[in-house]
Amino acid sequence: MPNVFAVPVFFICFRECLETSIIVSVLLAFLKQTLGPDSDAKIRKRLVRQVWFGTALGVLICLIICAGVIGTFYTAGRNAFEEAENIWEGVFAVLASIIITLMGAALLRVSKLQDKWRVKIAKALESNDGKTLGQGRFKTWCEKYAMFILPFITVLREGVEAVLFIAGVGLGLPATSIPLAVICGLGAGVLVGYLIYRFGTTASLQIFLVISTCFLYLVAAGLFSKGVWFFEQNAWVKLAGEGAAEAGSGPGSYDIRKSVWHVNCCSPGSKGDGGWGVFNSLFGWQNSATYGSVISYNLYWLVVIVGFVWMGLGEKKAKASGVPGNDAGSESSGGGDGTGKKPEVGAARLVVREIEG
Amino acid sequence: MAISLSNFLLPISSLLTIVRCATVTYDFDVSWTYANPDGLYNRPVIGINGQWPIPTIRVTKGDQLVVNVKNSLGNETTSLHFHGLYMNGSTHMDGPDQVTQCAIQPGGSFTYNFTVDQPGTYWYHSHVRGQYPDGLRGAFIVDDPDDPHKDLYDEEIVLTFSDWYHDMMPNLLAFFVSVANPSGAEPVPQSALVNETQNLQVKIEPGKTYKFRMVNIGAFAAQYVWFEGHTMRVIEVDGVYTEPAEASMIYMTAAQRWSVLVTAKNSSDANFAFVGAMDQDLFDVVPEGLNSNVTGWLVYDEGKEMPTPQEVEAFEPFDDFGLVPVDGEELYDHVDHTIQLDLKMDNLDDGANYAFFNDITYVHPKVPTLYTVLSTGENATNPAIYGSNTNQFVLEANQVVEIILNNDDPGKHPFHLHGHAFQVVSRSEDEAGFYDAATAGDFPQRPMRRDTVLVHPNGNIVLRFRSDNPGVWLFHCHIEWHVASGLVATIIESPLDIQSQLQGKIPQDHLQACKDGNVPMEGNAAGNTVDLEDLSGENRSPGTLPEGFTARGIVALVFSILSAFLGMAVIAWYGLKI
Repeated sequence: MPNVFAVPVFFICFRECLETSIIVSVLLAFLKQTLGPDSDAKIRKRLVRQVWFGTALGVLICLIICAGVIGTFYTAGRNAFEEAENIWEGVFAVLASIIITLMGAALLRVSKLQDKWRVKIAKALESNDGKTLGQGRFKTWCEKYAMFILPFITVLREGVEAVLFIAGVGLGLPATSIPLAVICGLGAGVLVGYLIYRFGTTASLQIFLVISTCFLYLVAAGLFSKGVWFFEQNAWVKLAGEGAAEAGSGPGSYDIRKSVWHVNCCSPGSKGDGGWGVFNSLFGWQNSATYGSVISYNLYWLVVIVGFVWMGLGEKKAKASGVPGNDAGSESSGGGDGTGKKPEVGAARLVVREIEG
Repeated sequence: MAISLSNFLLPISSLLTIVRCATVTYDFDVSWTYANPDGLYNRPVIGINGQWPIPTIRVTKGDQLVVNVKNSLGNETTSLHFHGLYMNGSTHMDGPDQVTQCAIQPGGSFTYNFTVDQPGTYWYHSHVRGQYPDGLRGAFIVDDPDDPHKDLYDEEIVLTFSDWYHDMMPNLLAFFVSVANPSGAEPVPQSALVNETQNLQVKIEPGKTYKFRMVNIGAFAAQYVWFEGHTMRVIEVDGVYTEPAEASMIYMTAAQRWSVLVTAKNSSDANFAFVGAMDQDLFDVVPEGLNSNVTGWLVYDEGKEMPTPQEVEAFEPFDDFGLVPVDGEELYDHVDHTIQLDLKMDNLDDGANYAFFNDITYVHPKVPTLYTVLSTGENATNPAIYGSNTNQFVLEANQVVEIILNNDDPGKHPFHLHGHAFQVVSRSEDEAGFYDAATAGDFPQRPMRRDTVLVHPNGNIVLRFRSDNPGVWLFHCHIEWHVASGLVATIIESPLDIQSQLQGKIPQDHLQACKDGNVPMEGNAAGNTVDLEDLSGENRSPGTLPEGFTARGIVALVFSILSAFLGMAVIAWYGLKI
């Protein structure tokens, strides 16, 4: 499974695509609302088409950038890493783990995204009227095609972010594992985005998001532990020689002195691993666990627990004292995307700053 | 390098003049010196009387041999084993430390004194852990006035073949049996040597027939040996005369001896190369630039060129299994006692790789096994007292004993039995698996006998001998690395007869060696003299590797799962709260 389906890539695509879906859905809802049922069907149709064109073009460009970045990496860069494969695998695993950890909390806030983007878009349209987008013909063009530019820019921005994440996470993964994960992630993102558009954010959606986030953190914990494991494996290969260290899963394939458990089977790396690779990708399973990998796994969870507790308590306090959203280190909570159903002006201003930044 | 033939040749005529039953005495001061035999690296070597290579011991059948050894190494213990000699009545002179004696401590002296009553080509070497490849190894020739082949040759030449390491054995052993070498890859020698040198020139006279006594005194590598332009006739293996058999190439494992007749050409138009080629199949990885061959020349005319040996297309050595002893000893067809030894290599819980007979890797007992025999009275026939890691077998007197050895390992192993030459009654090809009497085929009527025999990769051998030689005899692989990793069994033959032969007759210097080394001399393998079946405190091998999860692993796994669930609970709390 690790060779055909990169779990972290799936989650990144899922999240970014979900965000894109929400942008589109908010825009469509906005059009529906402002133009009303009695307005010119022709104009409305044109604006809706603009939204879709903008989105499609943004996605297309992102895909091209993504293919370019990953393609370049796999053709040119890969060889450079072969020499110290274990070190690179370790670095990438830890990097991927950190990226997922930082963006993971954002998934929990997907239900808030609708509000967040409603504010953002409202503000953006407002500022269009406020002549921020230039003068003369350009201004008119922008006004005319606002419904194209807005989704295009935002999708591009989200997309490039996804590309960078995927590049970061995917460095350590085989090229074959990325396409399927990307497709599934995009599909799932669109589906959930559509569900939000149709039914709004419901309690069951939030439960779904919680479960997804849990999975994401399981993956990240596994990656972190795997990263440490790779560093140790690198040291072992240096000591015992490549041949010994990579000869199957029997004695000699691991350093007995650092072993916490070892079973002569169920190796995620071996061919015909019978699904142990799934456990490896999802939970960081190793048939040969080391002190480093076990301790790092538990430490990772300790940090996550402390982080979430701190964030949770901090937000509670913030709510109580009326201070706007707490920047708790998570990528999207930095937006301070409001806590109530109705967006507040203060929050909206922050959002605009984010768009411009 | 030219060697004066007088060092190697003993005129046949002189054989007849030697007085029978002489006493031959050697005084050996074993000490460090320096040597650079392959011209690549100068290193410390263990020499005798300041010399290296060490001298060839030469006696005549029936002689009494006295070797006075002084250990002047300063930093290592030592001992001498006279490989292939039956030591009848003198098992205490056999040499392996912690088996038939205590190692000679630095500064100590020790006398080996025994009668040599067998002719042939032998060798002698240190028998303390992994020591002889550092240089303490030499040929041991027993001349025979009654040689059945004496009319077939004019002169005799001794050639030793060996492998050579630039690093010292203690360093190499520390690596070999360690966690850093989990696959048990044996160190690969840097060079091959003949007569402990290279490019040896052996002067040959046209028309004469020479008996080459060839000995592999190496630590590890077997060697293919051939003489360009000449065929060999095999007439002796390991001290057993054979009916002459033609061979163009032989395969000589570590510790084997082969005597071959080579008849010189009638003209001295050209010189001819002879080659010893180390068997690279034994090497885990063949290092780049390794010259695994050693070349010498049959020199008819020193003025002519020494030709470069030609490439051989394939190694197709002579199979010694078909050799027939001159004495015509018949197959022992009634077996009284069978010993089955299943060989495997595996790792123990210190991470190092060990060799096993029947899942037990050999570890020296605290008390030398011979001294356990001599100090335990009637209990000496109880195998249990000899320890848990000595692979001991107690034999009764005058039985036909069969050793079935199943090689469950993809390597070639040369097996050596102390105190006997055995009949090799069956030897499988590669990959034959364990021995099965039903499919093994007929045994030869007059089987080849020798004391060191090759077993093929994943194959098997069947050996038979008569237990007519009371003593404590090791049976072990003669790859020195595998001795260190425990591929050793102890045969305790007629222990009550040993007692009657040697009780109270162990010389004072032997006892002193134990005192010098603080080695207990009485009791069972653990040194327990009261309850001989109580082995507590004995030397044991490291433990076996755990199969799967240990308590430690389960705790770690449970903790990891717990922390994952706790983490997810916190995430859920946070996710449902916002």
